[in-house]
Amino acid sequence: MTASFPFSTVAHLEYPAGRSASDLNSLREGIALVPPESLFFHITRVSVRHPRARDLPPNDFANWAASALQEPEIAERLAFAGAQPLLNLEELRASLLRILEEASSRKRAETAPQGASFHFISARSVKAGLGLTAEEPEQVVPLWPRIDFASAFYHLVEARILGPAEDDLVAWLRSRGAAKLAESAETLTMGGMPLMRLHREIGARWRRSLIPSRLLRRTEEPDAARRQEARAVVARFAGRLRRPKGPSE
Amino acid sequence: MSETLVGAPPPDPLRAAPDPPAGSWLERYAQVVGPGTLRALEALARKLRGHRLVMVNTTKTGGGVAEILHRVVLILNELGVPTTWEVMEGDERFFGVTKKMHNALHGHGEKLTDSDRAIYAERTREEAERLALDGDLILIHDPQPAGLVSLRRSKGQRWVWRCHIDLSSRDPDHWEFLRPSVSQYDASIFSAIEFVPPLPIPTYLVPPSIDPFSEKNREMETEEILAILDRLDLARRGPWITQISRFDRIKDPLGVIEAFRMVRSRRRARLLLAGGGASDDPEGAEVLAEVRERAAKAKDVTVLELAPGSDIEINALQRASTVVMQKSLREGFALTVSEALWKRRAVVASAVGGIPLQILHERTGLLSRSIEGAALQTVRLLDNAELRHDLGEEGRAHVRENFLHTREVRDYLAVMCSLL
Repeated sequence: MTASFPFSTVAHLEYPAGRSASDLNSLREGIALVPPESLFFHITRVSVRHPRARDLPPNDFANWAASALQEPEIAERLAFAGAQPLLNLEELRASLLRILEEASSRKRAETAPQGASFHFISARSVKAGLGLTAEEPEQVVPLWPRIDFASAFYHLVEARILGPAEDDLVAWLRSRGAAKLAESAETLTMGGMPLMRLHREIGARWRRSLIPSRLLRRTEEPDAARRQEARAVVARFAGRLRRPKGPSE
Repeated sequence: MSETLVGAPPPDPLRAAPDPPAGSWLERYAQVVGPGTLRALEALARKLRGHRLVMVNTTKTGGGVAEILHRVVLILNELGVPTTWEVMEGDERFFGVTKKMHNALHGHGEKLTDSDRAIYAERTREEAERLALDGDLILIHDPQPAGLVSLRRSKGQRWVWRCHIDLSSRDPDHWEFLRPSVSQYDASIFSAIEFVPPLPIPTYLVPPSIDPFSEKNREMETEEILAILDRLDLARRGPWITQISRFDRIKDPLGVIEAFRMVRSRRRARLLLAGGGASDDPEGAEVLAEVRERAAKAKDVTVLELAPGSDIEINALQRASTVVMQKSLREGFALTVSEALWKRRAVVASAVGGIPLQILHERTGLLSRSIEGAALQTVRLLDNAELRHDLGEEGRAHVRENFLHTREVRDYLAVMCSLL
């Protein structure tokens, strides 16, 4: 792992993966054969397309099974299989195939209406440095609000699944001994929430987790400096108590 | 039933509002998309330092491509990517051929004659000598200037063909004429995967986008909306259900009237079918006549023929609507859906073309597959203000991330980064 961590953003350049599906069988064939980047696009990258959603929409396969094939049960199962963003892509492929094999063995194949076929897409990431670098793990905390959603997704999810490993933020935090910061980011990421919420909640949790170490550092400061700061805090508090309550309070 | 024909709208002082001073578009966009998105665009643009981009199309005014280019070129320059815009000129004969080609690539065409081919080749040769195509990346928009690549490509340049039209129903004769030129490009860009023909070059997918500051999408005060309703002789009191589309069978205006008839039997509402395309298209005029005839037999249906360039009117009509419909049988990308979503409107639409990319059922709008389905979803929306509000908010957020010009600029920057 590198000593410092430079943040990058990515633009995802989408292109046809060369396959399409019109029923469950051809969907299964497609899922079995497309490159991992295509699975990543249709399942994991949904969160980049809907960063501000209240809750994350189901993945593209589940959405298509529900809307074009009118198969709510299969859609539900496909949605659940893809709901964990940090799952290895080959494990994910295997779970999707299991669901579709089982479904096609007991169901008459429904065909999508004309013009509603599923087209497999893949995406290539074009990376660009944001000019923000953390030399120490704690520096990640003030830098975090300045990165965009695509950057958060790249460092938390994409680099972990597709690489490169040096851009995996959680791995870097761990390698630099910041296990707590790494764990909170990883746990929240695994929850599969929309990116805006994930970005906000990780930032809030990190800020809270730094409170004990900040307090500890304060105890190491000279008594006079601490007394002066305490007096300032009390004065601010007293000022707030004295202020008359306005209509907005 | 009332029937209104709107000719050229009277001059509106707001239309003549000047563009803001140079350097301020990015700041305006940052207020809409947030500073993070802007920083990401700047990061991509930094990678392209020292490279120049040339955009080429065939018109500076009128049409969606010109509208997009006006803004996108400004944004790219503000980001520090020197971008120029060249317009290929042509005479009546050339544009007659390219119009024929355009229609044929959409699936309704006449054969290309030898004379047509000669006119196209001659004009392309003349323009290849005239145009300043000295950038590092040349982005050619649509079929009309596609032939320039074989005549003007210099060493080290990258040429990309950006196709804004749906080629899924293309006429093979016309496509075979165009394909050898397109195959010489380094890459092609299409708006949706369904539109892509087989090509031997890399193909990227870049959906179209809307401008939140254009006349069609800018914010409007209630008084302004009401004044436009008054001017168009439309009732201020709704609830209005609106479909704004050119009068074309594939937009299913008769199906919309039928769905509305079902809605009207259960709820009080008004339907507005507004659009253009009838004045310069004989089939459009025929469809409009049929629509008017059917509307005359229904209650509370208004048919409005809009003049080209009625952007403010469209803006006001969408904002005045309680439900916006797009009940098409077939579609291109259907950016009218994004326009309505940007205005936080509740939308009922068919799951065709680019619509499912914009409408996620029960999240950003409601999809339907039949006339009854459209009626059912419309009644649901009329009855439920909270649902309309939630869909509207999520729809706007979806457009903000995926269908504003900043996203299209980001994709162009990514294409450039990958090729240069």
